[in-house]
Amino acid sequence: MVRGSKCYKVLQARGNANFRCLISPGCKAATEAPAEGTILRRNAAPISDSGYCRSFNYAAFSSTKCSQPESCTRIPLNLMRALANRSIDVSSLGASSSVQRTPVCSGSTGLIGSGGGLQSVRHLQTLAVTPTGPKIIKADTEETIEVSVDGHSLQIPKGMTVLQACEVAGKEIPRFCYHSRLSIAGNCRMCLVEVEKTPKPVASCAMPALPGMKIKTDTPLVKKAREGVMEFLLLNHPLDCPICDQGGECDLQDQSMVFGSDRGRFTDTKRSVVDKNLGPLVKTVMTRCIHCTRCVRFASEIAGVPDLGVLGRGGSEEIGTYVENLMTSELSGNVIDICPVGALTSKPFAFTARSWELKSTESIDVSDALGSNIRIDSRGPEVMRIIPRLNEEVNEEWISDKTRFSYDGLKRQRLNEPMIRRPGGYLEPVTWRAALSAVAQAVHQVKPEEMAGVVGKLADAESIIALKDFLNKLGCENTWCEGIGANIDADVRSKYLLNTTIAGVENADVFLLIGTQVRKEAPLLNARIRKAVRNNRAKVATIGPPIDLTYDHEDLGDGTDALIQIAEGKHPFSTLLSKAQHPVVIVGAGVFERSDKDAVMAVVETIVDQAKVVRDDWNGFNVLLLEAAHAAALDLGFVPGVTAKLLSKDHLKFLYLLGADDIKPDDIPKDAFVVYQGHHGDRSAYRANVILPGAAFTEKEGTYESTEGRTQQTSPAVPSVGDARDDWKIIRALSEVVGVQLPYDSVSAVRARFLAVSPNLFRVDELEPPTVWPQSITPRSSSSKIESSPFIKAIDNFYMTNSICRASRTMAQCTSAFANLKQI
Amino acid sequence: MATAVRATMTRGSSASLEEAKHRVVDFFREVCRYLPSIMDRYNLYEVITPAQLRSQISAQFRKHSDVTNRKVIDLLVFKGQEELQYCLDHAKQRHHLLSTYVVGREGMVQHNKLGVLDHGESEFLKNFYQSNSL
Ligand code: SF4
Ligand code: FES
Repeated sequence: MVRGSKCYKVLQARGNANFRCLISPGCKAATEAPAEGTILRRNAAPISDSGYCRSFNYAAFSSTKCSQPESCTRIPLNLMRALANRSIDVSSLGASSSVQRTPVCSGSTGLIGSGGGLQSVRHLQTLAVTPTGPKIIKADTEETIEVSVDGHSLQIPKGMTVLQACEVAGKEIPRFCYHSRLSIAGNCRMCLVEVEKTPKPVASCAMPALPGMKIKTDTPLVKKAREGVMEFLLLNHPLDCPICDQGGECDLQDQSMVFGSDRGRFTDTKRSVVDKNLGPLVKTVMTRCIHCTRCVRFASEIAGVPDLGVLGRGGSEEIGTYVENLMTSELSGNVIDICPVGALTSKPFAFTARSWELKSTESIDVSDALGSNIRIDSRGPEVMRIIPRLNEEVNEEWISDKTRFSYDGLKRQRLNEPMIRRPGGYLEPVTWRAALSAVAQAVHQVKPEEMAGVVGKLADAESIIALKDFLNKLGCENTWCEGIGANIDADVRSKYLLNTTIAGVENADVFLLIGTQVRKEAPLLNARIRKAVRNNRAKVATIGPPIDLTYDHEDLGDGTDALIQIAEGKHPFSTLLSKAQHPVVIVGAGVFERSDKDAVMAVVETIVDQAKVVRDDWNGFNVLLLEAAHAAALDLGFVPGVTAKLLSKDHLKFLYLLGADDIKPDDIPKDAFVVYQGHHGDRSAYRANVILPGAAFTEKEGTYESTEGRTQQTSPAVPSVGDARDDWKIIRALSEVVGVQLPYDSVSAVRARFLAVSPNLFRVDELEPPTVWPQSITPRSSSSKIESSPFIKAIDNFYMTNSICRASRTMAQCTSAFANLKQI
Repeated sequence: MATAVRATMTRGSSASLEEAKHRVVDFFREVCRYLPSIMDRYNLYEVITPAQLRSQISAQFRKHSDVTNRKVIDLLVFKGQEELQYCLDHAKQRHHLLSTYVVGREGMVQHNKLGVLDHGESEFLKNFYQSNSL
C-alpha cells in the first residue's frame, strides 16, 4: 500500500460505501487510487484528530500546496485551531468553498525553502520574485506570526512548519524522511523538538508553527529523544559502512556521529531483507533501508510511476515493487540521491570509487536541450559519476537517467588521433599536420556551392560559430544543424525557444502538446508539466504519437486532423484552450522534420492567435528543441543561407560533419569528401575520409544554450583523450591551413565574436528571454499544403539518442531491460 | 662523510642591505667550497666540469640580481642553503641535479619544434600541432 502521499481514508474507504470525506468532497486523492466516487469519510462522523484526509492535513498544517487544489485551502488559523479543539460544527462548514480562501501558493514556492538547510533563508527573500512566468506567486509574507526558537523570537510567514521555522532561525534540525520537494510523511521521528507546554517532543516536520510557540532545539529532552530515535534506527541497520557506496555521504552515518549514542545496547540479531531488483540502474540493499519512504513518495509524486511502495508493517515492513517489477521511470536515478542511507545506490557506480577521493566539477548536461546542471565527479582522467546540481529554474534537483548514467560511454569508442582513409578503405592514424593538409587539399578542389557543413547534437557554440565563419569565408552558405529540419525559421527568437520557460510551465493550466513526446524528449520538462497537472489541475491534450506521460492527458490523435479542427474552432478542446488563464502550446521535434512543416506551423500559429496564447503578460507558445546544440545553432544563424537551397544534396562534393551522426550514409554522394570532427567513432566516422578527434563535453569549456534560451557553460573535468583537441581550435587551425585564417586565437576571442553575432551567448548563466512576440507578423500563409500524415516519433529509444549514449554499456542494458515496456 | 656538516641555519634578518649582500657572497663561496664534493658524490664529472657548474650556479644567483629588498634576499639565501643541504644530505638524486643545473629546466621540456621546418605558421597553429593545452 502506498503510504505517505495518499489519504489514509482512501485506504480505509476502499469498498466501503459508508465513507465520505466531509472536508473535501472534491478531493482527488481518492480518484487516483479507488474507483471514482468512492466515499471517503464516514458520513457525518465527528471530526477526530486523525480523521482528516492527509492532503487536507498538509494543507491546513503547512504551507505545502496539496496535490488536490480544490481541497487545498489554506485554512485560516483560527479555523484550524478550532478544528484542533473540535469546537466547531463541521457540518456547518459544508464544502471547502465556505472556507475563506487565502491565496493558494503554487507548487514552486509550495514549501518555503528549498533543498533544506539554510538555503531556505535565502529563498525567503526572493520569494516574491516569480522566476519568469507572469503569474504572481506570493507567499503569505504579509501575514507573519511570531515564534521563538531557543529563546530568540522571530517573525515567520504563517503556515510554516516548526522545522522550517527552526531553519529560518538557523537551527538545523536532523531529519530523514522530510524532503522539501516531497509530501510530508513524518515517519522517521528524527526531527523531534521540544515545544513548551506539550507533554512530549513533537515531530517538527509535520507540526505547523503556531503564534507564540516556544520551540526548543537543544534541551536535554531533545538530545535524549534524538539519541533514542537513532538507537532504534541502528537496531536493524547493518554495520557495513566500509563496503557501502553511500559511505562518506550518508545521512545516517553523519547523524549518528552527531546525535547518536556512543555505545549500543543491542545484542540481538539484526533483521535482514531480501534485495529487490529495480533494473540496471538502481542497486538495492534493502537491509539498510530505514523506511523513510522518500523513494516511494518520489516515485509516485515526482516521477509519476507508482512502482514503489511499502509492504508490511512494523518489523516486517519493506520497500519494494509489489510484484517482481523494474522501476520504469526515466527519472529513477534520483531515488539514489534522495535515499538518506545506502539502501538505494547507483549500480554502475557500485564499488568503483569512494566519494572522498573524487574531484567535483560543476558543469552542464548535453544529453537533451534542457541544460540540466550537473556535477561531474572524476578520479584522475576518468569520469566516475554524474550527479545533479541544484538549479530551481532548470532541473530543480533532479536529472534524467540518461544524464546520470551515460557517462561510461565517454570511455569507449573514443577517437584519439587524426586519421585519414587510405585507398584500401582502412583508416590510418596520421599527424595533425597531415590530416589538416589533406582536408585543405580537398577544400581547394571543390567549388563553395558544393560544400556543406552540418552541426551535430552535442556541438558547443564556440565550434558552431567557428565552423560558420570558416565556411562563410570560403563562400559556402550550405550549413544546417542536424535534427531541426532544413527550413527552420531562425529570425525571431521567440519562434524557436521555449518561451514560457521551464519553471514557468508550472503555472500553466491548459497544455496542448503537438508532435512531441515530452517524456522522452525532455523528461524534466515532463516532470514540470506533471507538477502543473497536480497543482493546478492543468488539462493536457496531445496531438502526436501516443505515449504514457505519467499524468492524465487527452490523446487527440496522432495526425494533423485534430490540429486543423482546433484551429477552425470545431474541436471541443479549442474552447478549453481559449478559456485557459495560462495556456501553453508546445511544439516538439515530431514537427521539425516534416515536409509540410511550414503549413503545420501556420496552423499552430493560428491556434496561438485565436486562443490568445501569447499575451502581454504571458507567452505560452513554445518550441521544445531536441538537442543541446540547437538553440545556439539557431541563435548563431547556423541555417542554410539563401544560395544554399538551390542545390540538391547530390551535388555535394565536400561535407564537414561537426559531430553529426544522424546523417544517413546513403544521403551522402559516393564521391563526396567527408570530414568528421567529433569525439566518438560513431555512425558517421565510418563514412569519413578524414577524422579529426575533438573533445567531449566533460573535457572542454563549451558554451551551450538551453531550449529556453539560457546560456550555460560546461567545464573540463577530465583531460581530453590522446591527441584530441578542443573543437573550435580544430576549425581555427584548419582555417589557417586552408588559407582563410579565422581572426581568433583564444577562447575569449571566440566569445567576443558572440557579442557581435548573438550577444546572449556571451552572458553565461543568464536566461535571455526572447524578444517580444512579433505581433506585426501575421501567421505565415503557407504555400505548401498540410498533410494528414501522423507525427513521427522523434525519439524511439530514450536511452540511445547520441553518440555518447550509443557507446555506453549502461544505456545498452537499459535498452534491453526496458525494450519491451511501452512506458519509456 | 661530509654529511650533516652543517644544518641550515636560521638567522635573524639582515640589518641592512649591506649585510644581506654580504650573506649572499658568503653563501656563494660556501657553495663553491662544496662543489668538488658534490661533483664527486653525484658522479657529475662525466657530464659537466666544475667551472661550468659554478657558472650555472652563479647564473642562478644572477637571476635574482634585481632584488633589493633585504628580506627577500635573506629568504633567497635561506632557500639556497636549504637546497645545498639537500644536495649534501643526498635528499636529492642525480637526475635532480642534472635537470636543474646541468641540462637546465628548459632543456627538460620536449621540443617538438626542434627539427620541424617553420612553415610560416601563426603561433596558434604551432601550439595547436604541439598540444591541446597550449
Ligand atoms: S530505500 Fe532509502 S529512500 Fe526508500 S524508504 Fe528506504 S531509506 Fe528511505
Ligand atoms: S523528518 Fe520529521 S519525522 Fe522524519
